Amino acid sequence: MSNTDDSVSPANESSARSAGPRSAEAVTVENLTKVFKGQLGKKAFVAVRDLTFSVQAGEVYGLIGPNGSGKSTTMKVVLGLLAPTAGHTKIFGTDSARVESRQDVGFLPENPYFYKHLTGMETLLFYGRLCGLHGARLRDRAREMLHLTGLENASDRRVGGYSKGMLQRIGLAQALVHEPRLLVLDEPTAGVDPAGSRKIRDLIMEFKKRGITVLVTSHLLEQLQEVCDRIGIMDNGRMVREGRLDDLIAVENQTEIVLEDASPELLARIRDLVAADAGKASVKQMGNPRTTLERLFLKATEDKDQ
Amino acid sequence: MSNGTPSSSAPAASRYARFSPGRIWTLAAATVTQLVRMKILAFVIVFCMIVVAMGFAFPVLNPEQQLKFLKDVSFGALQFFSVVIAIVATAVLMPRDLEDRTLYTILSKPVPRHEYLIGKLLGVLVLLACGLVIMDVVLSGVLYLRQNIVLGQALQAMEHEGAATPENIASVTASVAKQGLTWSLHVGVLAIFLKASVVAALALLISCFASTTLFTIVITFLFAIAGHGHQLFREYFLEGKTTVAMEKIGAAVLAIVCPDLGMFDVVDNVTKGDAPPVSDMLYLGGMALVYVTGYLVVSHLLFVEKEL
Repeated sequence: MSNTDDSVSPANESSARSAGPRSAEAVTVENLTKVFKGQLGKKAFVAVRDLTFSVQAGEVYGLIGPNGSGKSTTMKVVLGLLAPTAGHTKIFGTDSARVESRQDVGFLPENPYFYKHLTGMETLLFYGRLCGLHGARLRDRAREMLHLTGLENASDRRVGGYSKGMLQRIGLAQALVHEPRLLVLDEPTAGVDPAGSRKIRDLIMEFKKRGITVLVTSHLLEQLQEVCDRIGIMDNGRMVREGRLDDLIAVENQTEIVLEDASPELLARIRDLVAADAGKASVKQMGNPRTTLERLFLKATEDKDQ
Repeated sequence: MSNGTPSSSAPAASRYARFSPGRIWTLAAATVTQLVRMKILAFVIVFCMIVVAMGFAFPVLNPEQQLKFLKDVSFGALQFFSVVIAIVATAVLMPRDLEDRTLYTILSKPVPRHEYLIGKLLGVLVLLACGLVIMDVVLSGVLYLRQNIVLGQALQAMEHEGAATPENIASVTASVAKQGLTWSLHVGVLAIFLKASVVAALALLISCFASTTLFTIVITFLFAIAGHGHQLFREYFLEGKTTVAMEKIGAAVLAIVCPDLGMFDVVDNVTKGDAPPVSDMLYLGGMALVYVTGYLVVSHLLFVEKEL
């Protein structure tokens, strides 16, 4: 899916209205430690240990790690939902503890539920009003978000009757309703079928094009690989690897050549060339490249739909 | 998801305001909608109307007693259900928001935590006020009708007995009017609302640290019951009616922590047809405001430290 709409305004439009200080860093996490106090004689639990990283404005940053590695806790501290035990976090240069730092943030929690008694449209109006939007402009914006997320036909239905994928999409719509410069997405594709998951991935690509900074966690590493500029890998509350995705996943001593319609003779000559090379070069693998199961599923279901 | 969206001018969010009545009202309105769609109000109205109808059914000895019974039963129902709704409606709100993660999406917007608390409480109070106003109107209408019927029957009986002298007619009319629809009825409903407001604020405070909805409901009920015996605690504490130190300390703590709900019980006077003086009602209003504000401040202190 590719969205070509203008409903998500570019970051510079959004930033023009922001009252916060300008900063090239959308998210700053410095020496963050979070300890949950033990209750009733239980030991304290250290969820995040001396974590430092930053997310540059306009980039998509993926935070990955096993369950319990501290990703969600880090996100909650960034959003001001939890107070850090030590260190600090900032959003566009404003301390996360300050409520005004959230003016430029949209958040989609993992497995979100919204007020079941509200319809899709009412949900967006509710969150828009909390962000200071009102009147006809809020209604227009809500309609745009419903269109963007493909929920126009469900706008009058109560959210209590939404499917898992629809909940994720209304969650994205509410996160975007006030045109934030930063989107924080906690497992945005959790429990969503591959097609819905792909749509969410495409939306993230679209946000990136429009200059919206995205901080995202997901267990679907292949999808993160497709959208992220930089990756941080957390384990046991610590950042164990961090950097540009291309740098992290490149195998430096190997070269990949993908040929189309190559004859067996050509392949044989390539093998011979490599074998004749005086250096240490060798052919590690030669054969048909594999597609992914996700791509196969999507192609099969798309063909069936057509 | 669809491809392409009509472009529009960017709707600029207003600059962040530290205190926004608009945000509070948005939260309050959502709370009212939530509770109304949970059928809480409908349940109260239906039940209270049944009770009012039962008021007609009581066998009575004289016209004044008929009206007094009607008011007694109706006010009893109003008091009971206003307190029940204040506790239950408030107790379910925050745990549900936390459980559904709605709280995350709300507080990740530029919404200070105190505005969230005020909005939730305001929503409950608006719902209570609406419910009580509807019941007040229904009760007033029923009482007015019943008053006319009772007066008509009394005058008919007097004429039948040949006792319909101008003095007797004036006496019966005055007596029935005193027990009938008077302004004191609305004052009584107002006192019930003030008491329910205090109880709702207390429930909100308890839900800020409670781990379950059931805990909030049970503890608030216990405090509400204890609050009706507030005078007793004060007497123990201030007048030294007990010599045991622990009892005195316990009574003192309860006297400080529990709201004095007994002070809002003006219903006995109202059902007798006596309206409390304006100064008394102003005092009650002021005390309710002090309690609600105090509980909100403590709620905020607890909630702002809450790990979400």
